[in-house]
Amino acid sequence: MAPLSRRQLLFAAGAAAVVSVAGCSDDADDKKDLSGNRAGAMDKYGVGDQFKATTAVSFSMLYNNHPNYPLKDDWLFWSELAKRTGVKIEPVAVPLSDYEQKRSVLVGAGDAPFIIPKTYHPQEDAYVSSGAILPVSDYLDLMPHFKDRIEKWNLQPEIDSLRQEDGKFYLLPGLHEKPWQDYTLAVRMDILDELKIPVPETWDDVYTMLKAMKAAHPDVYPFSDRFGKPNPAGNLLNMLALAYGLQGAGWNFQHTSWDANAKKFVYTGASEQYKAMLEFLHKLVDEKLLDPETFTQTDDQARQKLASGKSFVISANAQSIVNDYRPDMANTLPNARIAKIPFPIGPAGPMNPASRLENGIMISSKARDGKNFVAMMQFIDWLWYSDTGQEFAKWGVEGTTYTKDASGKRTLTPDVDVLGLNPNGTKHLQKDFGFYNGIFAYGGRLELVQSFFSEEEMEFQKVLNARPIVAVPPPHPLSDTEREQVTLWETPLKDYVYTNTLKFILGQRPLGEWDAYVTELNGKNMGSYLDVVNKSYDRYQKNHG
Amino acid sequence: MVTIDKSAAAPPTGRRHGAHTSRGYRVFRVVNAIVLTGVVLVTLYPFVNIVARSLSDNAYIVSGEVNLIPRGFNLVAYRAVMSDPMFWTNYRNTVVYTVVATAVSIVLTTCYAYVLSKKQLKGRTALVGIAVFTMFFTGGLIPNYILVTSLGLKNTVWAIALPNAINVFNLLVMKAFFESLPVELEEAAAVDGLNTYGILLRIVLPLSKAVVATMVLFYAVSFWNSWFAAFLYMDRMDLFPVTVYLRNLIAGATDATSVGGGLGSASDVVQSAATIQSVTIVLTVLPILAVYPFIQRYFVSGVMLGAVKG
Amino acid sequence: MNSRLPGPARRRAGRRTWRQALRRDWQLYSLAVLPLLFFLVFRYLPMLGNVIAFRRFQPGGSVFGERWVGLRYVRMFMTDSTFWDVFTNTLVLGALTLLFCFPLPIVLALLLNELRSRRLKRFVQSVSYLPHFLSIVIVAAMVMQLVSMDGTLNQFVRAVGGEAVPFLQQAGWFRTIYVSSEVWQTVGWGTILYLAALTAVDEDLYEAARIDGANRWRQTWHVTLPGIRPTMVTLLILNIGTFMAVGFEKILLLYNPLTYPTADVISTYLFRVGIVSNNFSYAAAIGLFESVIGLTLVLSANAISRRAVGTSLW
Repeated sequence: MAPLSRRQLLFAAGAAAVVSVAGCSDDADDKKDLSGNRAGAMDKYGVGDQFKATTAVSFSMLYNNHPNYPLKDDWLFWSELAKRTGVKIEPVAVPLSDYEQKRSVLVGAGDAPFIIPKTYHPQEDAYVSSGAILPVSDYLDLMPHFKDRIEKWNLQPEIDSLRQEDGKFYLLPGLHEKPWQDYTLAVRMDILDELKIPVPETWDDVYTMLKAMKAAHPDVYPFSDRFGKPNPAGNLLNMLALAYGLQGAGWNFQHTSWDANAKKFVYTGASEQYKAMLEFLHKLVDEKLLDPETFTQTDDQARQKLASGKSFVISANAQSIVNDYRPDMANTLPNARIAKIPFPIGPAGPMNPASRLENGIMISSKARDGKNFVAMMQFIDWLWYSDTGQEFAKWGVEGTTYTKDASGKRTLTPDVDVLGLNPNGTKHLQKDFGFYNGIFAYGGRLELVQSFFSEEEMEFQKVLNARPIVAVPPPHPLSDTEREQVTLWETPLKDYVYTNTLKFILGQRPLGEWDAYVTELNGKNMGSYLDVVNKSYDRYQKNHG
Repeated sequence: MVTIDKSAAAPPTGRRHGAHTSRGYRVFRVVNAIVLTGVVLVTLYPFVNIVARSLSDNAYIVSGEVNLIPRGFNLVAYRAVMSDPMFWTNYRNTVVYTVVATAVSIVLTTCYAYVLSKKQLKGRTALVGIAVFTMFFTGGLIPNYILVTSLGLKNTVWAIALPNAINVFNLLVMKAFFESLPVELEEAAAVDGLNTYGILLRIVLPLSKAVVATMVLFYAVSFWNSWFAAFLYMDRMDLFPVTVYLRNLIAGATDATSVGGGLGSASDVVQSAATIQSVTIVLTVLPILAVYPFIQRYFVSGVMLGAVKG
Repeated sequence: MNSRLPGPARRRAGRRTWRQALRRDWQLYSLAVLPLLFFLVFRYLPMLGNVIAFRRFQPGGSVFGERWVGLRYVRMFMTDSTFWDVFTNTLVLGALTLLFCFPLPIVLALLLNELRSRRLKRFVQSVSYLPHFLSIVIVAAMVMQLVSMDGTLNQFVRAVGGEAVPFLQQAGWFRTIYVSSEVWQTVGWGTILYLAALTAVDEDLYEAARIDGANRWRQTWHVTLPGIRPTMVTLLILNIGTFMAVGFEKILLLYNPLTYPTADVISTYLFRVGIVSNNFSYAAAIGLFESVIGLTLVLSANAISRRAVGTSLW
């Protein structure tokens, strides 16, 4: 076969030059002059004000389309939003299944819509250096509600953790007044009654409980867990790591944890706490209390075991109790009762481990040059960060989708259902009206966040809110070159930690080889990795501390 | 492999392929029947399983009790899927995209394969090389996206049809088929005054029904099942094919994995997810199963490929 | 069989000047214009983007990267020990897949060919094609059900008195599981081309073989197999060329950290690297490396087969 001739290549190159789109952005517009970008914006817009564009405006937005309430053009949400704010959103619908991939292509190709929601820190890091997304921290003056919340709720440390090397941040996160820890363990309460043991408070209690269950039912694995995608035992490992005072593991895998005493970052997967937690898990597996299939099975298989009485304990959130476990067991085990237990306490003491930051919004840099830029920032501030905006996004329109009594308690109108609160309602708050949509409604005041909670969940949250909040690690932003190098180390390191975590737990590798394992991690650049992270921490302290 | 009677050459029986009656051959046929029955059973099981699931109550699926026979028989899920207008919109899109893309593919592939099959053509090796090279070297995601966008193909059927118009594997199969056709017919036609286009249309294609049918099936199946191009180049739900619909449905059912994600799992309709998935799968696979026995005739009866002769 | 191969004399005669060739065959060339345009625009143009293997690309910046970095990314993966692990895994899985998924369709096609009832034959054929139409997500889900601790396979193991095996947790089992599922999914569909080729084998040759006293087995060996040899060779060459492209999506769905030591392949590794870092340059460098290997393999296979059996792709 003949390789391509030079002529063919030249021709191709020429054609490419014609089609090629220069993704150039104006570097010179660092000037803070916004006078050309005020079309539609309000002159005076402050805390408590209702945003209303002075002329009709529209903004493009990436839309993460949830299959359970697929996007509809005739939602009351859109029409009411236009009525109140004068804004029309032009959604680019992306299936939830592959949202991140499409976002990556769109931003990478310079074709992203203005508003890019559902971004989880640190996903925005990769786009910072090219200038494709806006350093939103430069424009907080346009967002009074956002600033107000940071101040009133003391969120500055959390916000600082988002900062990049230049001291700016590029993501507008969702803000919670109080942390909301949803995930924990669920336990068969009828078995606890049968065995006459109390609801466990600590992980040691959990162990004792499992022992008792095993003694009474020798042929079952009392604990068989789910949430194994994309990382095996994702929730279980994370809960334990937090309880042992680490930053996170499992599906919230964190390479480094902050050691406040030594004032430096340590490698989570090589720390003594991590070892202790593996010893605990290995004990569970060794004594046949924890099902070894926990680490490979699908959610369905785990639910299957619970529903058929082959296990009594499983990870859960509020939804899975109501939507999965209880309906699953309704047929097979009509007398079973299952409920969440308060997040078990570990060596690090009682805590509310949830973060007060939520996923957030990136703004495309192109938006900055649009004549409606100021109006857009005001609009975002109102819809995502003001009390009225958040109430609207969550509950809808008073009188139509909900009513409010004198004490301020909201009730769905009888015909409207959501979360099974009005099972006889013929219309659905999410599907038919477009409210309580994961893109628009999250975070906010404690009262609003909890407004849909059941009695049971309120009890759970009351216990957790009495516990102290976990401190966030100090910022340690990497430079572009550092990040490129570090991310190439991260994947092999994470893989290696994960493989060996499972081996240690399952007993495929004895814990006596722990030191050898740490040495092997060093062979995979763990040392260099920590150096880079600690160096960037020092640098940031010096430049911005 | 199989017991073969090697003792003596059986006398020719005069029937097709001879020696049907030798002991070894009889044993072979029994073994063969068993093997093929095994193949059929192993292959069919998962399909029966899916159909059974699609007709079952979700609770039984989750508790792992549905194997070959539906438990808690009901048609609720079928009704739920079929009453969603978006399902039908996307289904129609799939049909349109498949038909248009397959048509484009067949025309381009046939033209090029025919050119490549002419051994005396100057520059033929280079033309083959241009195609084969692309089997191994491809462009990245972002350059492709920018190309399609700047050509203005986004949100049109052409974004699906054009970028994947020629599959080189199919091209080579077709080329091999054309090469195996007797040259004499074409030469005779040329003498009768037919030009190249005429020869291709009136002589070659009528002889190539089998291979064209095969290519139609190959292309149609791949376009029918494809989702990535549509996912990438379509911005509106009403433009998606049913594969994207299905994919999203399955993802939605396993959505609880996003960490602490606010409304990550705000779904009170998941109860019947497992059933709905099965239903959608059945409905998506059905048309292909309905169509392909007709095309399949050509594989068995036709001279397809006439062996891939070099 | 090789009667249609062009003799050397004929090939010589094909050597004309471009002017003559164009005047004589312009209609043929005109048929190639649209396909060539397709290759140029939709294949070769985007290929230029691969230049980022040697340039620093920043998502959202220029498609062709920001600045030259030379062989930085090539050096990066060459010195990345994980890369070589996954490279080895890719080779082993590719080789095993080739070893089973290439010959089994031939065997199945021969077995089918021995069926005398046409209706039965068509039924078995139709059924065996079915798995080809299933999406990989579903296939993976089925596999996981089958090999789980309570799955059909372990029920069988227990029935014969064995201890249940956690197949999905042991790196040693991954290759078996993967290759078996590939066989299940592709073998039936793979018979299509062979069955077609079989129908074209000359009846006279069987007649001649019978007269020589050949039994069924010998007829298969001396007539049938040589008759479908060109098909076999073509497919073998193509299979060798795509050797490195082991099933990304299926592995992604079936593997887990415990089986990474055997299951992790280049594409899955790149996927994990890409997801966390958007490192398109690194991916492009490895992609180019894979392409070069693929192209070398197919060129060699083609050259060898042209020498050895006189059949080649071009």
